[in-house]
Amino acid sequence: MADALHDQIRNFILENYLFTNDATALKLDDSLLGRGIVDSTGMLEIIFFIEEQLGVKVKDEEMIPDNLDSVSKIAAFVSSKRQAA
Amino acid sequence: MHDSIVQHFDEAATRAGGAPALVWRETRWSYWDLQTAIAGAAVGLRGRAPSRGARVALLVRNSPQYVALYYGALAAGLVAVPLNAQERASVLARQIEHCEAAILVGSTDHPEWPALSAAAATAGCTVLPIAPRDDASALEQFLRDLAGARAVNDEPPKAHELASIIYTSGTTGRPKGVMLSHGNLAANAAAIISYLGITSADRGLCVLPFHFSYGNSVLHSHLLAGAELVLEDNLAYPHLTVQRLQDDGITGFAGVPSTFALLLGRCNLREFNLVRLRYLTQAGGAMPRPLIERLRGELPKVDLYIMYGQTEATARLTYLPPAQLTNKLGSVGIAVPGVEIDVKLDGRSVPAGEIGEICARGASIMQGYWNDTTATHEVLRDGWLRTGDLGHRDEDGFLYIDGRSVDMIKVGAFRVSPQEIEEVVAAVPGVEEVCAAAMPDELLGQAVKVVVVRREGADLDERAVKAHCRRHLATYKVPKVVEFVSVMPRTSSGKIQRFKLV
Repeated sequence: MADALHDQIRNFILENYLFTNDATALKLDDSLLGRGIVDSTGMLEIIFFIEEQLGVKVKDEEMIPDNLDSVSKIAAFVSSKRQAA
Repeated sequence: MHDSIVQHFDEAATRAGGAPALVWRETRWSYWDLQTAIAGAAVGLRGRAPSRGARVALLVRNSPQYVALYYGALAAGLVAVPLNAQERASVLARQIEHCEAAILVGSTDHPEWPALSAAAATAGCTVLPIAPRDDASALEQFLRDLAGARAVNDEPPKAHELASIIYTSGTTGRPKGVMLSHGNLAANAAAIISYLGITSADRGLCVLPFHFSYGNSVLHSHLLAGAELVLEDNLAYPHLTVQRLQDDGITGFAGVPSTFALLLGRCNLREFNLVRLRYLTQAGGAMPRPLIERLRGELPKVDLYIMYGQTEATARLTYLPPAQLTNKLGSVGIAVPGVEIDVKLDGRSVPAGEIGEICARGASIMQGYWNDTTATHEVLRDGWLRTGDLGHRDEDGFLYIDGRSVDMIKVGAFRVSPQEIEEVVAAVPGVEEVCAAAMPDELLGQAVKVVVVRREGADLDERAVKAHCRRHLATYKVPKVVEFVSVMPRTSSGKIQRFKLV
């Protein structure tokens, strides 16, 4: 289910890595690394986006594929951090 | 004279036997397993190849299967052509065509595989899909994938025979295939083993892609020493990589400047127990001094080797012995065993302190560029390799890099030809003129910037240029910045002044 948070994350990735506003270019569960959408430096930029635009601090040990490798995983991670705050 | 790398591998593997050779995800292959896989790959590839010396292109990410295919091709007297797994199919198809590859082997899960395998099949290439698995049946599955070929008995490869072609960015943007012989690979691996002191007690961690000469050298130097090599798919999760350094008791780790910037940027290395880590190596461009200082500060007991090299020299040309790091900070050190370094201007050696072009000779210098005698003659002259890098030596003979004599952008550790970027951008509708240049980048050292003159009346924006580049270029080559200007800065003779574009 795509909500505003999913859209915000997906739009950031579409705009900065796929250079399009066609939402069908990126499925919510697509692996960002597996599909070659971002590389290791791109992942670091996504962390900055999460911290600065979404207001969630990412601890070093939270930088794992389960939290970051797709739009839905990032959204779930951000939601759980917001709830815990 | 150094023998074939395959022969060295066989000797090391026989000594190592059941000891672990490669670890990747859930898979652990011993030297016996690897020998079995290599033997299967050699038969499977040679039986499908039209002749000895035929080229075998590999689109396989770092994995035990990649290693078996690479060494299998070499053992069978074929030429391995490892493709850059980050590149787009259109670029790779040109390389396959350029080296007239007879066989393309690739992972079916690679995003570019469908397009590349179709292009290769059209070009008359035998296409062999494999499915690299990381479970207990990985070896069995690999042998099944390669089965079905008739054994061909050839002489074992000799030192002077061509072993591998590595494509690198040339100044013209057209494919440039560095030809490395079995002897080149064996000589460079032996040199690296010697100065790093790699033994069968070592366990390295490799995050560098094997298609890249530095990653290639990490692979050979471990296998030829009978050491163990742990393969990590990427550095996207630096914390996991450092965790692995700790948990797996890694003794050696190789990186480029951005590798260490990523690790230090997100991890406090002091919080980890890295007591078994013996050394770090850094190559692939100059690492900023503050980064070197921080690395030494966080890991004071670990030897840091600053190194310099080129694909044209197989990989390694010089290294700075860690004991000299303080008093020779900024230097890339001295020649590795078996290599001679000189700094020349107009064909003559220049005295200490004077800048010239760095030249090298020795057993690891390439045979030339594949099917390109003009380009080969430009860099191989009178037995010396002209590196295209400018540098000087101090009174003690230590080498310092002062820049490049040819236009080239270095993103992370990858050389990027401005012409290649310009050719791609020029094809975007609405582009009148384009020029690509390097721009400073905090993490990668340099990134690509393009400056574009719009065609009159054209509706063209930054996103359209980047989207086109994304479709046609590897991710790291996509311009970070697209700037629009009304006229290009030119010299009086009409040449674009790239340096004014940054």
